Amino acid sequence: MSDAALNRRFDRLRVLEETGKLKSRSRSRAVSKLMNNRLAVVGLCLFTIILLASLFAPLLTGYDPLRIDLRGRLQPPSWQHWFGTDMTGRDVFSRVLYGGRISILVGLGSALIAAVIGVGIGCYAGYKGGWLDAFVLRTSEVFMAFPQIILVLLLVSILGQSLINLIIIFVITGWGPMYRLTRARMLSLREEEYVQALQSFGVSTFKICYKHILPNALGPIMVNITLTTAMFILAEAGLSFLGLGVPLQIPTWGNILNAAQDLRVLQNYWWIWLPVGTVISLFVISVNFIGDGLRDSTDPSQQG
Amino acid sequence: MGTFILRRILILIPMLVAISFLIYLGLELTPGDAVSHMIPPDVANTLSAEDLEALREQLGLNQPFLLRFWIWLTNVLQGNFGHSLEAGVAIKDIFLDRLPATLELSGFAILFSTIIGCFLGTISALRRGSATDNSLTVVGMLGVSIPEFFFGLVALSFFALHLEWLPVGGRLMPGYDSFWDRAPHLVLPVLVLSLMMTAGVMRYSRAAMLDALSREYIRTARAKGLPGWRVNLLHGLRTALTPVVVLIGFRLPALIGGSVIIELVFQWPGLGNEFIAAVRGQDYPLVMMIALFSVLAMLLASLIIDVLTALIDPRVRLE
Amino acid sequence: MNRLYSALALSTALTMTAPIAFAQVENPLSDERVRQAIAYAIDMETIVDTLFEGMAVPADSMIPNGPWHADGLDDYAYNPDRARELLAEAGWDEDYVVDVVYYYGDQLTVDFMTALQAYLADVGMQMTFRRLEGDVIGELTSVPEDPHSDVSAVDWDIAYGAKAALVLHEYYNVYADGHSAYTPSDPARTELLDRINGTVDLEEQRVAFQDFQRYESDALSDIPLYYQQIYIFESDRLDRNGGPYGNEQFNYDWNILNWTIEPDENGNEIMYTNKGPIQFFTQPWLNPGLTMGAKILYDRLMTADAALVPTDGQLAESFEVSEDGLSVTFDLRDNATWHDGEPVTGDDVSWSVHTALGVPSLNAVFANTFRSLEGAEAYLDGEADSISGIVVDGDRITFNFDTIDPNVLVTFSQFPPLPRHHLEGVNPLEFQQHPFWQYPIGSGPYRLEEVQMNDFARFVPYEGYWGGIANIDEIVAFPSEDNDPNVLQNAAAGRLDYGFTKSVSHVQGLEEMDHMRVIPANINYTRSLRINAFPFQPS
Repeated sequence: MSDAALNRRFDRLRVLEETGKLKSRSRSRAVSKLMNNRLAVVGLCLFTIILLASLFAPLLTGYDPLRIDLRGRLQPPSWQHWFGTDMTGRDVFSRVLYGGRISILVGLGSALIAAVIGVGIGCYAGYKGGWLDAFVLRTSEVFMAFPQIILVLLLVSILGQSLINLIIIFVITGWGPMYRLTRARMLSLREEEYVQALQSFGVSTFKICYKHILPNALGPIMVNITLTTAMFILAEAGLSFLGLGVPLQIPTWGNILNAAQDLRVLQNYWWIWLPVGTVISLFVISVNFIGDGLRDSTDPSQQG
Repeated sequence: MGTFILRRILILIPMLVAISFLIYLGLELTPGDAVSHMIPPDVANTLSAEDLEALREQLGLNQPFLLRFWIWLTNVLQGNFGHSLEAGVAIKDIFLDRLPATLELSGFAILFSTIIGCFLGTISALRRGSATDNSLTVVGMLGVSIPEFFFGLVALSFFALHLEWLPVGGRLMPGYDSFWDRAPHLVLPVLVLSLMMTAGVMRYSRAAMLDALSREYIRTARAKGLPGWRVNLLHGLRTALTPVVVLIGFRLPALIGGSVIIELVFQWPGLGNEFIAAVRGQDYPLVMMIALFSVLAMLLASLIIDVLTALIDPRVRLE
Repeated sequence: MNRLYSALALSTALTMTAPIAFAQVENPLSDERVRQAIAYAIDMETIVDTLFEGMAVPADSMIPNGPWHADGLDDYAYNPDRARELLAEAGWDEDYVVDVVYYYGDQLTVDFMTALQAYLADVGMQMTFRRLEGDVIGELTSVPEDPHSDVSAVDWDIAYGAKAALVLHEYYNVYADGHSAYTPSDPARTELLDRINGTVDLEEQRVAFQDFQRYESDALSDIPLYYQQIYIFESDRLDRNGGPYGNEQFNYDWNILNWTIEPDENGNEIMYTNKGPIQFFTQPWLNPGLTMGAKILYDRLMTADAALVPTDGQLAESFEVSEDGLSVTFDLRDNATWHDGEPVTGDDVSWSVHTALGVPSLNAVFANTFRSLEGAEAYLDGEADSISGIVVDGDRITFNFDTIDPNVLVTFSQFPPLPRHHLEGVNPLEFQQHPFWQYPIGSGPYRLEEVQMNDFARFVPYEGYWGGIANIDEIVAFPSEDNDPNVLQNAAAGRLDYGFTKSVSHVQGLEEMDHMRVIPANINYTRSLRINAFPFQPS
């Protein structure tokens, strides 16, 4: 290949680069792969619908989820009450919507906080190594040595029951895997040539870590966040069954579904548990689909 | 290999001590103690403070924290696991009593979920992208997306109460002597638990199989004209086995911890049930031992995984 | 998002205690009018009709309806206007948030709290509620150091709970000077209390109780909410053959020897029930009749009728109360034996009373009786080796009392003596931890045949029972706590022929089953709002 030809090629590349086309194409490849995954698209749609419905609950329902109406209890679904009313005459539809706010906050919120902490530490410690890394590694091993439910129950009994405590507990149980994952990625990425180049240019450690290496490790982390979210949402429901979840007066999906524990409700009043059960499952499924799609689209070893 | 295992076991010991100290400390910080649980609120409105104090003294709840921990630790190291505060029963006996029930339940669940999961996962991988693959994925996903207590309650209400095919719960009834007597009691909880576990195995084995099928030597074997089923089974599945072993290893601790909620729904008298009761009753010695036991299981499981993967896959070196 | 944050703010607010913001301020709930306003604001009729599905009776006194209940009490029927008036008179601060605590873990309680919150909001009172965690007993009963002037030792305004009483005195004795965590002392009340406890004459007692109720009707130290019944359920296989239905939480003459049950398909006459042992048999000196073991394994010196009024001898062939009420004599049956064949002796009874006094979790009524014994104080202080008021002469045992205890016979109709030869040397402080409770030996109509802890316990008729051999061949009890969450499942599956419950949802579910019947019975069980009227902690 002649010099001129090579130059022309580079020029074309430069133009592309300058107009930002190269970048946008490389980004859109992951997105378009995700979009090609039918299940992931379905998941994304479900996720968005449920999330938006919860966020805009006041626009969708005029009922206060806490407002009781003792004379109007246990009504089957009707035009006034789409999902009927519960044991104290509260509107089940509005409870499911408002409950979604808390449940999604607990699930997604805890997963994100856990990710920020786990990734934040894992990134730096994994890159720098040393006593900090050794210390955090041992600490994460301690937490990860527990079967998850045992650790959660222990922490609930130690910290007590409240919404904030539940989030704290989930963060405590969730940061370890995120940290390990990020650290493992960092260990391999820090040996890459571009990192060594950056080091030789004297770019600060902090910048190398978070600006240059981290974006390359984000794929698996995103996958992990989705799976953790799904796990926490189910864990919230399980804890409310055990009577150890969010205090019962706060509507959460788990607390609403918990009414099914009463065999009479389970057999006679399906509208109290079926809608919320369906919403929990749909939400968890959608998050799992998104996670699977993300994994396929970001994992270069599974092309095609 | 021998030194590797030995070293790993030696690391376990300080780890367990540290963990037990943390749990002990945590429980110390909780409000209330076993005494406040032993006496139900509705009837206890006239007990005097001195009576309660005497009881605490007797149970050794009044000694300084570090001293209590030290006493507990030395006892455990000598094989004395202590007594449950509430019942006064030796914790060792509680384990001997409850562990078989839990192992029975989780053991079957792991067995079934592994067999079914591997089978379906392999099918899914071989027919990648087909309708079968997609529907299996969706069904498998459903299995991990329904809150397990809810799944259990619905199954119980349908199979045990509506159809009356199976007992509602419990494990032993008077007059049972053999395993076959209590087998009907096992069906529902095992069914629910294995359905919940199957999805994970399936997804894992599907991915592993896909990975294996894309390897060079598989293509070579195909090119050589070996029949498809032989390639898939002999070469593909064997390679795919490593991650599945890892997965089963990860499930082993579930033998103890994983079935807490299912045990509660089906009145199954296992360790999980006991743990919930102990947590609610703030029976510290019991909470400690069950938590520690499950931690030990978890750590041993990860050791076993490492050893097994090294045995299956010669490329893996133990350092 | 606003609501989300307000929910978050609410949950943090719950962990703080309302009084902090009002340090040094006189407790607004110490004003009688405020308490009356709360009583007027709650529509118990509607709550009972709907939430409780008719399975409770609105209360106007702590004392249950019946001969001991006073007439003409103010029932504080729902009247929100009157409540608002009273609050205005009392100068109620609308910014004040009333902090309510409870200790039940069920959904119905939370629903009830939600309703309460709505009713109070309607008359202009803000309220939050939270479940007490951890040291519930210790917290509920923290008594101020100086009940005359000291500040409250609890950090909430109102505790919702029940008083489950064996005898009516238990409802009011907790108000005694220095014993109440909620109510500052009041000479008028102390005088009324002395009248209640100072006599064994039933008529005098009744008048004193009614006077107390009239006083309380205005004072409202407790705002009575509702009386609860106990619901006994039986399958259609079971027949009591004329046996009465009574306060199932305690022991009465329920004719168990003559109960019959239809044989199952294998021809076995087995009665299935719950409240069997989980890790151990609960000792019957705290709750003498709550578990199946406590009910059928032991006899008492006396029996009682369905309303728990002591009637005849049981282990005692006869008994005699002295004229002044200060001495009771029992003559034990010759043919009463423990399940191991050893005779039940006066020595067993005496040993049981001595030991019981050292057991911290002793039933309050028993404790009152035993502490009134002559020489009990000296024994407890360690000045005497035994209680001088207990005299054993072969099969005759006499109890002599220093002070009048109105409930002596109630105690002996519920307190089961235990076999000394099996429990000798037990440390009373670790009474429940004794190996005896893994396989107890009693004196009752049934004996323990086999127990698989946490699976089942099998009881069979005791061949040597003095009253004859019981009819039903075997009783199988499945493990459960007092509040068995699996009642409906097990009843539907035919694993429950007998049991009792206080849960409204269980009753409704059981009534829907064709093969089960539910029989309500009156008990002394009143739910109330215990108002903290002490001044607050200055912070």
